[in-house]
Amino acid sequence: MDDTTPQRSAGDLIRTAHLSYHYDVGPGDAIPALHDVSLTVRRGEYLAIVGQNGSGKSTLARTLNGLLTPTEGDVWVDGANTRDPAAILNIRATVGMVFQNPDNQIISTVVEEEVAFGPENLGVPQEALRMRVDHALRDVGLAGFGRRDPHTLSAGQKARLAIAGVLAMAPDCLVLDESTALLDPLARRDVLRLLGELHAGGLTIIAITHLMDEIIPAERVIVLDAGRIALEGTPREVLGRPEALEALGLALPPAAAIARGLAARGLGALAGVLTPGELVRAVVAAAGVRP
Amino acid sequence: MSEALVTIRHLSHTYLAGTLLAEEALCDASLDVARGEIAALIGAGGAGKSTLAHFLNGLLRPVERGRVVAFGQDLAVHNVDLAALRRRVGLVFQYPHQQLFERFVGDDVAYGPCQLGLPRDEVRERVRVAMEQVGLPFEAFKDRQTFALSGGEQRRAALAGVLALRPELLVLDEATTGLDPRGRREVHDLLRRLRDDEGVSVLVISNDMDEVAELAERVTVLFEGRTVLAGEVHEVLSQHEALAEAGLGLPTVGEVVRALADAGITLPGRPITAREAEEALWQTLRS
Amino acid sequence: MANAAFLRHVAIGRYIPTDSLVHRLDPRTKLLALALLVAAAVVAADYINSVFVLFATVVVVVLARLPAGQAVAAVRSVLPLVAILAVLQLLVGGRGATAGGTQLLSWGFIRVTSSSVQLVIVLTLRLISLVILAGLLTSTTTPGALTMGVERLLRPFGALGLPSHEIALMGAIALRFLPILGEQMEAIVLAQDARGVGQPAGRWRVLANAQRMAALVVPLFADVYRRAEEMAMAMLARCYRGGRGRTSLYELRYRPADAGAFAFALLVLGGAIVLGTAGVP
Repeated sequence: MDDTTPQRSAGDLIRTAHLSYHYDVGPGDAIPALHDVSLTVRRGEYLAIVGQNGSGKSTLARTLNGLLTPTEGDVWVDGANTRDPAAILNIRATVGMVFQNPDNQIISTVVEEEVAFGPENLGVPQEALRMRVDHALRDVGLAGFGRRDPHTLSAGQKARLAIAGVLAMAPDCLVLDESTALLDPLARRDVLRLLGELHAGGLTIIAITHLMDEIIPAERVIVLDAGRIALEGTPREVLGRPEALEALGLALPPAAAIARGLAARGLGALAGVLTPGELVRAVVAAAGVRP
Repeated sequence: MSEALVTIRHLSHTYLAGTLLAEEALCDASLDVARGEIAALIGAGGAGKSTLAHFLNGLLRPVERGRVVAFGQDLAVHNVDLAALRRRVGLVFQYPHQQLFERFVGDDVAYGPCQLGLPRDEVRERVRVAMEQVGLPFEAFKDRQTFALSGGEQRRAALAGVLALRPELLVLDEATTGLDPRGRREVHDLLRRLRDDEGVSVLVISNDMDEVAELAERVTVLFEGRTVLAGEVHEVLSQHEALAEAGLGLPTVGEVVRALADAGITLPGRPITAREAEEALWQTLRS
Repeated sequence: MANAAFLRHVAIGRYIPTDSLVHRLDPRTKLLALALLVAAAVVAADYINSVFVLFATVVVVVLARLPAGQAVAAVRSVLPLVAILAVLQLLVGGRGATAGGTQLLSWGFIRVTSSSVQLVIVLTLRLISLVILAGLLTSTTTPGALTMGVERLLRPFGALGLPSHEIALMGAIALRFLPILGEQMEAIVLAQDARGVGQPAGRWRVLANAQRMAALVVPLFADVYRRAEEMAMAMLARCYRGGRGRTSLYELRYRPADAGAFAFALLVLGGAIVLGTAGVP
């Protein structure tokens, strides 16, 4: 990018050690949200964190960029502890977060001002700001929308605008806290495709969701239940445990569910199928074998 | 065909007609809801689904072209008893916090029955039943503060508030968006129970094609304020070109079926849900 | 109240992206010029100079290439209030300071004098000018530019502890949320109607509407509070820490046109004062 982009180093980007968090609701009264969560996120990884409502996934997300500091345990981002007030600005510039409702993240009534908000806060010099804004808008497919009013954008476009606002800070990692939950299917597909592109470009992606088809593009999945890590593995491994998922309040996406049902009836060739595309190919192959 | 509860024909509606800000929301919309069925109204964002829903309980009245007949009453007539209509048609909105306004959950759910002038014990009984139906145990939740509930709990509370009126037609306006799989399944089970055990009709407004395929028996498709498709669910959800023109996709299973058809494999029946697809594939691959 | 769709279209505060002389001015100039023009509107207390100020305001609207419909709509929205005030003032204001001038009507406690008539007309013209001026500022200046302008102007007070950037940003965010809150109110009204809230029972309509207002307050407040919390978190996540160390996408620079605009505003204020003291009616 430009001289103002921070240098990247190799290794783990985020690490948590015995992280616990509870919300204080009154004297002596606390709501536990996370218990003893230890995980690492490697640079360039695409991680999905899933769980039913109330499992603690949003809370976990907010500890990753220091919006919440652990009540016990620690969180390190690129070697800096999130409890350290001097490091917090850098941490939030490294781990950018996009929330669920675009309307409640968008501050301005002009698209380009909205995108500039983040880097302006970081004190990026004026000459570089324009370039950051233009690049970010281009990366999310909103080039040319600079002078528009965000209020006139569709839900999907607003979601992408929120992402652009974070990308403009040149983060190493993008955390999406259920950012697709309120979108219609086509807009959701657009956002997921965008995430794939960003990941291919080297960005670390952490997607928090309860929509099971969204874990498929991830490299690793962590399933939370009542504040603890209940399952971990590749999407294939995790989706290979449907009874466990059911007990955790989750479900297999349709294609995987169909494949599993057929495999259980004896069509072993379909075991391990996750996506509609894979299902079609597997069925065609299986049908081709028969005369 | 069972008794028609609501019939809408060729309805048009313009918001703020005659002003600078006029917005035509509907121009030729038609809809049928019959007794004892779960129907769906689908369409891309801005197609006019919510607007159409607002006619069902008289929030909007037909003033331009078109006819709306609900429970035997023509809504264009002046002296329609709207209060009575709103007792029979319960409308649940997308965001629960827009519907809740009492401080305590119990009071909020009780609001509707109280407005009906029912005696206290009956109000209490209705509230208890409604809360149990949505999975908010009465004793535990009746004294909780509405705005301190979690998102999912607020949704259930809003639904309970409408169920307490014992409506004959329940309209859910994108009321499951944002629910997790378990929450969604619980709502679906509840809707089926209401239909089977109590004869309640349900109209689900959604653009989640998988959800519609699971739940609905009949589907109406809206595009730019106009009804472009209507009929039995398998019939409608297999018309991928028409749906694409209306800005909609297919249910996941529908896409699989289409891709297989392109590859030369035609499945029996017209599967739109995972269960149906599994069965159809089993039949095909076994032979 | 079922057709509450207008609530979401509250157009005050919407930036209109045309290009004009006025759009291109430095935001600080616009803020200061606005202050001067407002002062002119307030100072003008006679027929001639009130019309003069209103005329100057319209000139600016034309220079800003704003669609006339916008200004008219803004004015129309305050007309009911103005009408009520005007009538009240007209009927009972004919005493005290405005007891001078010829008495036009006297009936019971109602007293209308030529002075009170003048006051009413002047008030109306003044209100119209002020409404248009307010809309002018926000229609020709993006929130970011406005924020910068306010912040720069307030900066000298920073030494006294005034958080200029925070104040400016608060104003910008509030403006941005007006249409959203309008939508929310509309949705809440509908949702409550659907549950049978506030069914106006004939002649007690006023009371029912008051009751319905009360029912709106709680959900609206809860909604606003929730949004504020989410927005605060999003701002923190984007490294907001107040005005310290912030840069800006825009560069503020005074150009000759700014001097011209400033001079124009001064002339209008001067003209209003002169016309007032010249004893012209």
